[in-house]
Amino acid sequence: MASSSSSGITFKLHPLVIVNISDHYTRLKAQTLHSGESSSCAPPSNGGTAGSALSAPPRVFGCVIGVQRGRTVEIFNSFELLFDSKTHTLDRAFLEKKQELYKKVFPTFYILGWYSTGSDVEEADMLIHRSLMDINENPIYVLLNPAIIHSQKDLPISIYETELHVIDGNPQLIFVKSSYNIETVEAERISVDHVAHLKPSDGGSAATQLAAHLTGIHSAIKMLNSRVRVLHQYLVAMQRGEIPLDNSLLRQVLSLLRRLPAIESEKFQDEFLMEFNDTLLMTYLAMFTNCTGTMNDVVEKFNIAYDRHSRRGGRTAFI
Amino acid sequence: MASSSSSSSSSATALRRWELENQIVGSEEPDRDLIYWYDEAANSRAQQEKPWSTDPHFFKKVKVSALALLKMVVHARSGGSIEVMGLMQGKTLGDTILVMDAFALPVEGTETRVNAQADAYEYMVDYSTTNKQVARPENVVGWYHSHPGYGCWLSGIDVSTQMLNQQFQEPFLAVVIDPTRTVSAGKVDIGAFRTYPQGYKPPDDPVSEYQTIPLNKIEDFGVHCKQYYALDITYFKSSLDSHLLDLLWNKYWVNTLSSSPILASRDYVAGQIFDLADKLEQAENQMASARYGSYMSSSQRKKEPEESQLTKITRDSSKITAEQVHGLMSQVIKDILFNSSRYHQCTADPSGPEPMVEA
Repeated sequence: MASSSSSGITFKLHPLVIVNISDHYTRLKAQTLHSGESSSCAPPSNGGTAGSALSAPPRVFGCVIGVQRGRTVEIFNSFELLFDSKTHTLDRAFLEKKQELYKKVFPTFYILGWYSTGSDVEEADMLIHRSLMDINENPIYVLLNPAIIHSQKDLPISIYETELHVIDGNPQLIFVKSSYNIETVEAERISVDHVAHLKPSDGGSAATQLAAHLTGIHSAIKMLNSRVRVLHQYLVAMQRGEIPLDNSLLRQVLSLLRRLPAIESEKFQDEFLMEFNDTLLMTYLAMFTNCTGTMNDVVEKFNIAYDRHSRRGGRTAFI
Repeated sequence: MASSSSSSSSSATALRRWELENQIVGSEEPDRDLIYWYDEAANSRAQQEKPWSTDPHFFKKVKVSALALLKMVVHARSGGSIEVMGLMQGKTLGDTILVMDAFALPVEGTETRVNAQADAYEYMVDYSTTNKQVARPENVVGWYHSHPGYGCWLSGIDVSTQMLNQQFQEPFLAVVIDPTRTVSAGKVDIGAFRTYPQGYKPPDDPVSEYQTIPLNKIEDFGVHCKQYYALDITYFKSSLDSHLLDLLWNKYWVNTLSSSPILASRDYVAGQIFDLADKLEQAENQMASARYGSYMSSSQRKKEPEESQLTKITRDSSKITAEQVHGLMSQVIKDILFNSSRYHQCTADPSGPEPMVEA
């Protein structure tokens, strides 16, 4: 059902959305797993199987919001929705209510589409998709596969759009997969790094901070290196004739190489050196302050030690 | 490849060491997600018993979920230099407050608005009812707000708000986030606090992490800093979260490499340096006057205040400089990586990637 999209729209996904969906799913799974054991909890009304069946964890549904500027769709945030499993529709009133609430806090975002969990697109999804079409004429569908497969290299998230295709003489809407990029603001990146990675949680000494900072950069460079190696090996294999020539790939590699060096103008050099000098100046100032502090300490101690000799003389402040 | 196996083992040991240092909730799969289950019975029991009403220092730790942290930091940063606020939802577990989620409130917080929460009550009620329907039955367990650029502590207004909250809405927690310092330092600047009830003297002086406070706020800080205590913050995430975050790194490293903290925090750094200069002047005046004072009096004791003042200034300046140097290091590394053809003009090697691959 899904072929690759040809709409030319670029998608940018923020990590917050990913963590949102994952959290929603985990919560629901935890609630339904335990509501099967405890007697008093009512199972939540989200669609999916009954709570006691461990085999098929319930699907979660929600809405994604963000902005669309021209041909770029940026998905910033998401919220949960209610799904009626009997009629296979989303609770409309709930959606409007939530949308209102979110509009107050994030006035620039609007509904871009919806999300769900599962391993593949299902038939019933098309109904939901159609119902959202009156809010946004081309909604997107974000699908997260919650199965944890440790050998997986890619994010188990896919974004689908709909296209009108003619199948068997009937024009039908089908889901087509699109590619996406991960976009982030600096603060988001730092907090994701903080939770996911090797960063010290408290102040620590200057040494640990330095180590943390450099470790981050080191891991990033390692990734870059491994990617470049892969490319290199691929090209060498192509040269040896083991792999058939792929001209478009060769063109891309050539354009990449042509982009290096990244910036070479005079102005950049000047700016760069100026910044370097500014930082050196700051370091100098800090060292100076440090020295002044230490010297002040020495003078204080000296004064205290030799105070009795100069009680009369009125020695001036030795600063 | 030898390099990848050694790198994976070194990263594995580093991960274990980091987990040990930060007491991350352990990697046992089934228990980890248990934290997400809202136990009605246990929670209502805790509400009735109210063990926190007898001991003002009852809650000692805070566990923040990955989602809550992300939401709070993004919201705080989106406010720019305006303080923003929101509420946190969660539950208590013994002496730990668990923050499962956070949501923003549509009020513009300024330092002088005591009752910002009154405006947001309707929003809060609406949000909570909708949340209960989508499998998030936790109650509101605290509030957070941002102090853009001036550190994580409670101002006078914050202290009175929190004291009111702790009287009527227990258990309640106050969290402060500084998004400017987060971006500048490259690590999350966050603090969790609870106030002491009126007139209660804490048994010992709590040792809190030192942070620099701008001169115009330092009085507010000093007056109230004994009325509350800080709680330890740790973070947790679900198994799916950690799996996804690991995979996210595959797409993410580009952003790490391309971030330039120097450019992002230029204004903030300039502000800090100005502030340091003011503090230095103040310290100098204090020192000059106090020096004569200590000669007149016969006490041989060192005068504490201006002594620690200069030390504080020294520490602040070192911190700011260290951050700046980190930023510069990133720039230099990027320059070497991507502009290296300048450094390799003499040899017959082609540009850029070639030396890296062979190394």
